[in-house]
Amino acid sequence: MWTKAQSELLNVILDHLIPPRADGSAPGAGALGVAEFLPTATPFAEDPVGTVTAVLDHVSKTAPDFLSQSAAAQVAVLKATEAAVPAPFACLVRLTYMGYYSRPDTRPYVGVGAHPIHPEGYPVPSESAESLAELTAPVRRRGQIYRNA
Amino acid sequence: MKNEPVDVLIIGAGASGAAIAWSLLETRMRILCLEQGGHLQDKDFPSRRDDYELSRYSYFSVDPNVRGAKEDYPINNSDSCIAPVNWNGVGGSTMNFLGHWPRMKPSDFRAKTLDGVAEDWPIDYATLEPFYEANDRNTGVSGLGGNPAYPDYTPDLPPIPIGTLGQTLAKGFNEKGWHWWPSDVSILSQDHDGRQKCVNAGTCDLGCAAGAKGGTNFTYWPILENAGVELRTHARVAEILVDSDTGFATGVLYFDKDGQLHEQRAEMVVVACNGIGTPRLLLNSKSKAFPDGLANRSGLVGKNLMFHPLTGVAGVFDKPMRGHEGPMACSILSQEFYESDPARGFVRGYGLHSGRSTTPMTFALGGYGIDNPIPWGQEHRRIMDDVYPYLAGLTVVTEDLPEEVNCVTLDPDLKDSDGIPAPKITYRLGENTKKMLKHGEEKAKEVLLAAGAKEVLTKGDDTVWWRAGWHQMGTCRMGHDPETSVVNAWGRSHDVKNLFIVDGSIFVTSAAVNPTSTIQALALYIGDSIKNNFETLFD
Repeated sequence: MWTKAQSELLNVILDHLIPPRADGSAPGAGALGVAEFLPTATPFAEDPVGTVTAVLDHVSKTAPDFLSQSAAAQVAVLKATEAAVPAPFACLVRLTYMGYYSRPDTRPYVGVGAHPIHPEGYPVPSESAESLAELTAPVRRRGQIYRNA
Repeated sequence: MKNEPVDVLIIGAGASGAAIAWSLLETRMRILCLEQGGHLQDKDFPSRRDDYELSRYSYFSVDPNVRGAKEDYPINNSDSCIAPVNWNGVGGSTMNFLGHWPRMKPSDFRAKTLDGVAEDWPIDYATLEPFYEANDRNTGVSGLGGNPAYPDYTPDLPPIPIGTLGQTLAKGFNEKGWHWWPSDVSILSQDHDGRQKCVNAGTCDLGCAAGAKGGTNFTYWPILENAGVELRTHARVAEILVDSDTGFATGVLYFDKDGQLHEQRAEMVVVACNGIGTPRLLLNSKSKAFPDGLANRSGLVGKNLMFHPLTGVAGVFDKPMRGHEGPMACSILSQEFYESDPARGFVRGYGLHSGRSTTPMTFALGGYGIDNPIPWGQEHRRIMDDVYPYLAGLTVVTEDLPEEVNCVTLDPDLKDSDGIPAPKITYRLGENTKKMLKHGEEKAKEVLLAAGAKEVLTKGDDTVWWRAGWHQMGTCRMGHDPETSVVNAWGRSHDVKNLFIVDGSIFVTSAAVNPTSTIQALALYIGDSIKNNFETLFD
């Protein structure tokens, strides 16, 4: 889908949108391969390829040396791009988040299970009747708080 | 194309349509339900997929304008600060609702008498109480008895786990000396009636593949179909027909899946299409006798639209709150600020609901019902790593007062896939609601800090949640006076004696609680009234 040059540029941009953890324990969106998700995102955006291309074109045009720039300079270019082409940039951000977090392997990074949530769900213990009674005791002590009508 | 006539024709297979069908079963009348959507099987629910979150933004969105399915009708919401949400299919919006199950309170039926606003209902809490109980039995309700915010009742099943998040917030409420209670939910805390208990998946809006949530697709419809109620899916009603001589409804015209038009005749028509679909259908049913829409001699069909405007406040805590585990919106509910207190500067009140947090993608995209993604870049990484897992939030759910300017009309241009005019929503927040939201936000901050939050996050503006128009009420309200209401005290149209309305559109006021429990109790009450008035039903 993407040319080699587009892929190279896109992956760097994606890694800025969702960066890797500093200690390397969670990948950025570029390294994770979110670029491959973007062309498939037609249920979520009218023209994902055209939208992403608009952002890439703007970056290429305004910063031809983007790939050789420092990380801080690249972020500055992306902020300028966001201001110049807000709608395509916002769409790219949105689709990047979708592509990243729709991958089950990213969910455990933030404490959520990788599995489909049915049928397994999560084990959550019920509070005992005694602990609930203790916790609700102050509320019970106040008595009725609704109005009779 | 004509079909064999039936005794009772119900339009809509959601919360209220299913409940009244159940109530009328014992009459042995021939009952047919026409449903514009399909009957989705639990194996097809997206929660069984690895990428389940994506479905929220396409085919399983709560917003029909996002889903855009053939069975959905578009809704023009460009003049509204809240987008209506729904599900069109068997189960209706109980497919994707969150199962919160609070009842209305005695004072909710007497807003005019007690607080000098809106109107009183023509019925009271005591009238509905046995129907709340019957509906709870049919649905399966979990909760804790003895809640001092209500007349005494005890749900059949013990409460669902309130979890780390609920326990933490409860301690905050106790610290403040404010009311809170484990939420009543139509979600099974134990296996019940052949249905599996909740597995704490945390994605109730994606359909409940466990069958633990009390959607009518799992509760009423299996019973109804076994008992011989005919459920005709992909049948979209275009118009209710009326005999110009007698003024009685004679049946409907509906489109089938292939776009073919059918006439279905019936002795009695029951409309159960929700607070937007019902006025839309009536306004689309114009005739010589009813040039402004069926049953609309009062001019109130579509008027007085009420939602429950929402805002949220979240606290960041020191330990993970595990908010994605457990029923999505239901942990604990505070009704400390529910009843009117003139000192607060507004009338009526609101609830503070502990919504659990949502799944990572939805959080990153702004939260449930909000389209406002979190920042990109290093700040994104910080928020997802250091904030998201530690969040516990409170949702301020306010009572909306009826105002005629808030309304459902027909859009002059927009149509559904069968060419039927679509609804247009005109809605803005009332001044009372704005004051209530502000008060609620402040009180939520206080309790979060009391619970130990190290930081409190608010939206920072006065907008309400956008995609949060779950509760659509008031657009065909009930009352004794035909000049000021659309249906009588038991849901019968003042103008068309064999036409009944049983959904949230007949609410007189909105209260500040999720309405499904009351919608279904009302439907059972109306069914009971029909049975009790059988001899003179159409007089």
